[in-house]
Amino acid sequence: MADAAPSPSPRRRQVLFLVAFGILLAGSFTLLSLNWVNDHAVEPFTAGVARASGAALRLLGQDVTLEGTTLRSPRFAVNIANGCNGIETMLIFMAAVLAFPASWRSRAAGLALGLIAIQGINLVRVVALYLTGAYLPSFFDTSHTVVWQTLVILSGVLLWLLWASRFALPARA
Amino acid sequence: MKRKTEAAGRRAAEGASGRRWAYRLVRNTVLWLIPAAALWALLTPSYNRFLQVAGQNLVRITESPDATRLLPRDDHYAAIARLDLPPSREVVGSLRVTDLHFPVILLAALFLGVPDTPWRKVLAHLGLALVVMAVFHVVLVLFWVKFTYATQLGAWSLERYGAFARNFWGLGKHLLDLPVKLALPFLLWAWFYLDRLLPARVES
Repeated sequence: MADAAPSPSPRRRQVLFLVAFGILLAGSFTLLSLNWVNDHAVEPFTAGVARASGAALRLLGQDVTLEGTTLRSPRFAVNIANGCNGIETMLIFMAAVLAFPASWRSRAAGLALGLIAIQGINLVRVVALYLTGAYLPSFFDTSHTVVWQTLVILSGVLLWLLWASRFALPARA
Repeated sequence: MKRKTEAAGRRAAEGASGRRWAYRLVRNTVLWLIPAAALWALLTPSYNRFLQVAGQNLVRITESPDATRLLPRDDHYAAIARLDLPPSREVVGSLRVTDLHFPVILLAALFLGVPDTPWRKVLAHLGLALVVMAVFHVVLVLFWVKFTYATQLGAWSLERYGAFARNFWGLGKHLLDLPVKLALPFLLWAWFYLDRLLPARVES
């Protein structure tokens, strides 16, 4: 005899997702606002992003030096601050993956691949922003706040959609 | 046994359909990005002026006497000024208003990219989501101004705002200006369309 196990309705699961997503997001960003977390996790991470970006720019033939989290050359200098290190997008992606009904294995795979991909895209952002500042300075402000913020957040959302559809939905029969 | 096989087959079919839907959503969202950005750029100067006026009115509701003025500086910036300070010091901060609402681009692209949904329904959902976003933007202006008053003006801030108020406006501005602002388009999209992605009901 096949018996139907009671499971939450789609609307209920939708609300559960939104509540869990909101709690995870608020919790993680509150943690991020603590000075201790900033000094011991965010700053070292941002310094790592700056080192990777500097290496990528040098590979592209740019004469940049690194001072803390600032990339400097005779043409332009850019400071990689909070907001430019990809952490916001990573936390939004992480909250969405953890809140979505999926196996822990799928979540772990999604987090590992997604977070690496987001950092890859963020590296492209920092390099592109440096090049914009150096060669098209009048576009820097718009590029910095509007274009690349939108693209990086969008990439996080689209990566989540692909993960949710690829790994979290039932496999083909 | 047969029922179990049928249920598994049904779930797999729903999964495949959900995957196709998600791929088309991703493609459509990317395609809608540039038209959405162009429309947003066109409307930004007018919307910034709306936010300056609405934000100033909301701030004034919270103060007595009315002292705050938000002065447009150019198409993107507003100066935060207080009428109760000497004219040479009345401007106490500034705010890039455009930075508050650029996630509208993401919202529009996500909603317009939803496949297999009648246009009328999509536009109705997008309209509702834009209203929610507009209310949020006005509240965000309030938090920016209060954050400036509570934490950025040295002795003036310390005289008028206690520790709780400074933390409230500081943390509130941090949370609204980062996670909520950036995630709100996705949250609103999920409110209307997440059920299309959720796995089918679990049966055993």
